[in-house]
Amino acid sequence: MSRYEINGHLFAAEPKPGQCLRTFLRDLEVFGVKKGCDAGDCGACTVWIDGKPFHSCLVPAFRAEGRKVTTIEGLASSGEMHPVQKAFHDAQAFQCGYCAAGMVMTVASMGANQKADLPHALKGNLCRCTGYRSITDALNGKCNIESDVAGKACGASLPNPFTDDILTGKARYTMDVAMPGMLHLKVLRSPHAHARIVGIDRTAALAVPGVVAVYTWEDVPRRLYSTALHEDHLVDPDDTYMLDNVARFAGQRVAAVVAESEGAAEAGCRAIHVEYEVLPAVFDPVEAMEPGAPLLHDKDVLTKEGNVYCDLKGEIGNIARGFEEAHAIHELTYSTSRVQHVHLETHGSIAWRGEDNRWHVRTSSQGPFAAQKKLCYLMGLKARDLHVFTERVGGGFGGKQEMISEDLVLFAAMKLGRPVKWEWTREDEFLGGTTRHQMTTHVKLGARKDGTLTAMDVRVVSNTGAYGNHGSETLAAAMGSPIAAYRCDNKRGAGYAVYTNMVPGGGFRGYGASQTTFAIECAIDELARLLAIDPMEMRRRNVVRPGDNIESIWQEPSDASFGSYGILECLEIVERELAKGNGVAKPGGDHWAEGTGVALAMLECGPPTEHRSGAEMRLLADGTYHLAVGSSEMGNGITTAHKQMAAAVLGVRATDIAIINADTDRTPYDTGTFASTGTVVAGKAVHIAAEAMRDDILAFASRHTGMDPVQCRLENDAVVCGDKRIPLDALHAAGAKTDHHFAVSRKAYLSPRTIAFNVQGVRLAVHRVTGEIRILHSVHAADIGRPINPMQCRGQLDGAVAMGYGWALTENMVHEAGHMVNPQLRNYRIPAYADTPHTDIFFADTVDSIGPLGAKSQGECGINPVAPAVANALADATGIRFAHLPFTPDRIFAELAEKP
Amino acid sequence: MKPFTYERAGSPAEAAAAAARRPEAKFIAGGTNLLDLMKLQIETPAHLIDVNGLKLDTIEPTQEGGLRIGALVRNTDLAADERVRRDYGVLSRALLAGASGQLRNRATTAGNLLQRTRCPYFYDTNMACNKRRPGSGCSAIGGINRQHAVVGASEACIATHPSDMAVAMRVLDASIETVKPQGATRTISIAELHRLPGDTPNVETVLEAGELITAVTLPRPVGGSQQYRKVRDRASYAFALVSVAAIVQPDGSGRVALGGVAHKPWRLDAADAEMPRGAKAVAGKLFADAKPTEHNAFKLPLAERALASVLADARG
Ligand SMILES: Cc1cc2nc3c(=O)[nH]c(=O)nc-3n(C[C@H](O)[C@H](O)[C@H](O)COP(=O)(O)OP(=O)(O)OC[C@H]3O[C@@H](n4cnc5c(N)ncnc54)[C@H](O)[C@@H]3O)c2cc1C
Ligand code: SF4
Ligand code: FES
Ligand code: FES
Repeated sequence: MSRYEINGHLFAAEPKPGQCLRTFLRDLEVFGVKKGCDAGDCGACTVWIDGKPFHSCLVPAFRAEGRKVTTIEGLASSGEMHPVQKAFHDAQAFQCGYCAAGMVMTVASMGANQKADLPHALKGNLCRCTGYRSITDALNGKCNIESDVAGKACGASLPNPFTDDILTGKARYTMDVAMPGMLHLKVLRSPHAHARIVGIDRTAALAVPGVVAVYTWEDVPRRLYSTALHEDHLVDPDDTYMLDNVARFAGQRVAAVVAESEGAAEAGCRAIHVEYEVLPAVFDPVEAMEPGAPLLHDKDVLTKEGNVYCDLKGEIGNIARGFEEAHAIHELTYSTSRVQHVHLETHGSIAWRGEDNRWHVRTSSQGPFAAQKKLCYLMGLKARDLHVFTERVGGGFGGKQEMISEDLVLFAAMKLGRPVKWEWTREDEFLGGTTRHQMTTHVKLGARKDGTLTAMDVRVVSNTGAYGNHGSETLAAAMGSPIAAYRCDNKRGAGYAVYTNMVPGGGFRGYGASQTTFAIECAIDELARLLAIDPMEMRRRNVVRPGDNIESIWQEPSDASFGSYGILECLEIVERELAKGNGVAKPGGDHWAEGTGVALAMLECGPPTEHRSGAEMRLLADGTYHLAVGSSEMGNGITTAHKQMAAAVLGVRATDIAIINADTDRTPYDTGTFASTGTVVAGKAVHIAAEAMRDDILAFASRHTGMDPVQCRLENDAVVCGDKRIPLDALHAAGAKTDHHFAVSRKAYLSPRTIAFNVQGVRLAVHRVTGEIRILHSVHAADIGRPINPMQCRGQLDGAVAMGYGWALTENMVHEAGHMVNPQLRNYRIPAYADTPHTDIFFADTVDSIGPLGAKSQGECGINPVAPAVANALADATGIRFAHLPFTPDRIFAELAEKP
Repeated sequence: MKPFTYERAGSPAEAAAAAARRPEAKFIAGGTNLLDLMKLQIETPAHLIDVNGLKLDTIEPTQEGGLRIGALVRNTDLAADERVRRDYGVLSRALLAGASGQLRNRATTAGNLLQRTRCPYFYDTNMACNKRRPGSGCSAIGGINRQHAVVGASEACIATHPSDMAVAMRVLDASIETVKPQGATRTISIAELHRLPGDTPNVETVLEAGELITAVTLPRPVGGSQQYRKVRDRASYAFALVSVAAIVQPDGSGRVALGGVAHKPWRLDAADAEMPRGAKAVAGKLFADAKPTEHNAFKLPLAERALASVLADARG
């Protein structure tokens, strides 16, 4: 046995041949060591060996023998947090927290020189949530948190309740549990974009030592479903089998292997022999719409439209007349790229049978309740026999609004009677996860001399890939708010979501609206240029106002409604800040051209389809409260916000409210945390549950004391009835005697939906030689109502804007004939610290009359105006309209090279 | 991962001899490239020889006034070395332009020289690749080859060498010291170390089976303004689309090597001779035999412009 010293403890253990230090440590249940890539790109696995930081995924385990290994669990000494942990605590330098362990280990090893050069020193650590601003704050010793004062919780920047666990490595993310007898599942993915499976020979796979079972399409329930999660499953097409005998994209699951170790499961996958009949494939949605194109689906879902899964058309006013009235017309085709969420924690779940004889699924999901319904349907279970829950979830961004790992583990666990775990690799994510829909958007806009829009005509072709999933809902969003954001009498739209042999699209922060916003916001600038009107003025003149019909291309009444209106203020803020400048000059030399651009985005807070949520509250015997909400927390900060909302109503501190969330056994139903509903739907449930709790306490206190209810009020940890003050624990005890439970439950439903806005301003420099873009000034203003937690709201916007820069500048899933060419974080480039500009974030001063406690949605739509603002700034700098994302140096450079 | 056996070598000669005994053996230094490739089953050595304990991790002056860099010197330590920073600035800059700190802490001098290409098809075991599976074809030709070689490529392979450090070494005229399995030592110039792909892209260097790199030596410092410029898709880290290592003397003469354009760091005497005449003349020589593809033709003007910008900076 070899000896290892880990966090000061000696272990005698033998790594498996070729095992890296990361998995070796995790096998020893040192779960603070995370995985985002397993290839040296993300830094989530950073540990120290003899005090120096390394990516443990690229260190052979045996090389740590006899050395001192320190992980996040060992950083705090004698119970005291390390100063870097403290700094991360005070700055709240994380959101989902998944990157934090590695980030802290890296930062804690830095010397002064490195701290002075963070772009270099933080090269090896990626964070997808924060946009790195709060991390910079931590390095600068900034404190972002405020104190938790009874009655003042709402509107205060309170820390994440799981902070200490996250920063010391104690927080348990989905994969951070060990279970006796755990089996591991891996899938074999199709190498072909379109192929019929003629035969599968599993003999060799079953002969691999450790392999327990191999499942193919012949073994699983043959039930059609959609992996997309929504309240109403009918909005998504039932076109998917758990395992199918036809592969419709390269990367589709073909077989699942269950084994005693991950390595054996992988070896099993490689040993399966599959005979394919390769079928003709189509990748471009326009080609897929042509007659004679290979058809993707031959099942019930096939419509007479061939590969067109869904089309949406509409017209208001008269589009032809609108263009006749126009003095200037802009018309161009824009397109957006296929990108992925890259939540740092990959998908994964674990299923087992409990001592209660029920099935349990621990998963990384944005919608455990919706997943439970689907699993019950697939496996023929009753809801009461299936428990689905999350613990800490390392990011979602829409990628986990999808049931794509739970089904196979539950199936295998039910077959084998043992716990089964499936942890996705980063490559699994890129090949088999969902993506933002690639859309091509043809825009034609007309306006009068004074800038008044007279006609908007938009045609969207969305590549939904091999399966429909979120295809129709994202298309509806693409045809919705970006067009409704402008008042114009004549609008027309046609949208098509088309099946192709590409990896399926899914839900992604911004949800379809991002793509059309990119096209329309670029087009508005072009139109302004034709008319020699300032782009800001152009927007001010045409943006939708209270009293207007809020309509895109359909006349039917909508339940979207202005609970508050802050877009004009947002425009003013961005205009003012850009004019004021931030003192950052463009780099020296005459190779750099400079330009400024803005864009706006409108968001209807919540989906037009059904969405509901529930909350339960209890007064506990010690006089504090317990809150149960179904909503998932994946770094969006919703648990903090929910505690604050309840605390505000009850006049206590947020810490006086314990919370559990996203658990089908222990919390009320919630559709899922997506579609910008965490605050406005689940938050509303919390709000009214807290009010009901208050009323229940006061009613009991009034009966108990015989005082009139109007003379009773809550005061922090007591109820005051006239001149009598009864501590809540005493009141609870009194209640217990008369069997009064102090427990309430409320449900919330979303309608009407209020409206939020975001405006992004960008000043940038572009290098004429290399095509390099440097963001010099980035300003964002958000109209999100009253921020429940200003620090968190800013954090959400920081992250959304950073993700927007990634989409605009560096990220792109490159496919060739349906095969992804860059399925590693090394080649698929999410912004690192050095790529992420600092963004000044401002809030319009609005209080919403629809959203709970004056708040509106805020986590999602900050991303939408970023790419078009960058495009508009680029056009301003170069005189060239770049209409296709992303703006990588070679593309910029290629266009610039044509120019003198 | 395929099972393998493992041993720690006691001396360089022993390591080389051990490697010769086992045809499927590989040296492991930092492992940052090898372990990654092993996880993906692209490299499947049956035996690993750990060369970390060979005491090849010092940097010493040579009698000729240059530096002798042990094969196991970590990239972090090399970039930070006072003498390197002062006399061989291009090397220090190239190293820092490379991977992250956590990786540079492990990555070694020899491992960096011998790291494998980043051609995406090389990493995708579903795809044909002559480098990974000789004779299977090259998916990059006719595929997505924006990052690939524009010069010196063959019908069999158009991959580039990914190292930043090697480009600087090339412009510095470094030489590689090795020991062969029978114990003989030899010195190979960096110009000769890496091969062009030809018909056998799987053979990347002139090293023989089991031949171990023990050191890299740099000749006496040549002074001049030493620049390294890397053009890539994002600021933080990414392999180069094009990189330029240049040493420019006050009289305008100098030398230049390019990264990201060929199967090896790309430098030509004829091009060096054009240095006083500027970027266009130099690029003309460097790319005289260029055969870009539709997707990577942008590298030619990009390299020329990057060079022009480096020359302008060097002149101050
Ligand atoms: C995420 C990531 C980003 C990166 N970015 C960059 C970048 O921007 N620029 C850049 O230049 N590099 C980059 N790299 C590559 C990195 O520099 C190399 O992985 C590293 O230099 C390899 O060194 P090593 O010691 O770890 O080699 P190992 O992985 O140990 O070995 C590599 C090869 O060299 C052989 N070998 C090692 N030592 C000897 C010896 N003494 N004699 C003979 N053969 C030997 C091994 O057998 C193996 O085939 C990146 C790597 C990663 C993972
Ligand atoms: S370029 Fe070389 S490495 Fe890439 S696929 Fe072709 S043969 Fe393989
Ligand atoms: S898991 Fe090791 S660097 Fe990403
Ligand atoms: S907090 Fe950094 S990845 Fe989520």
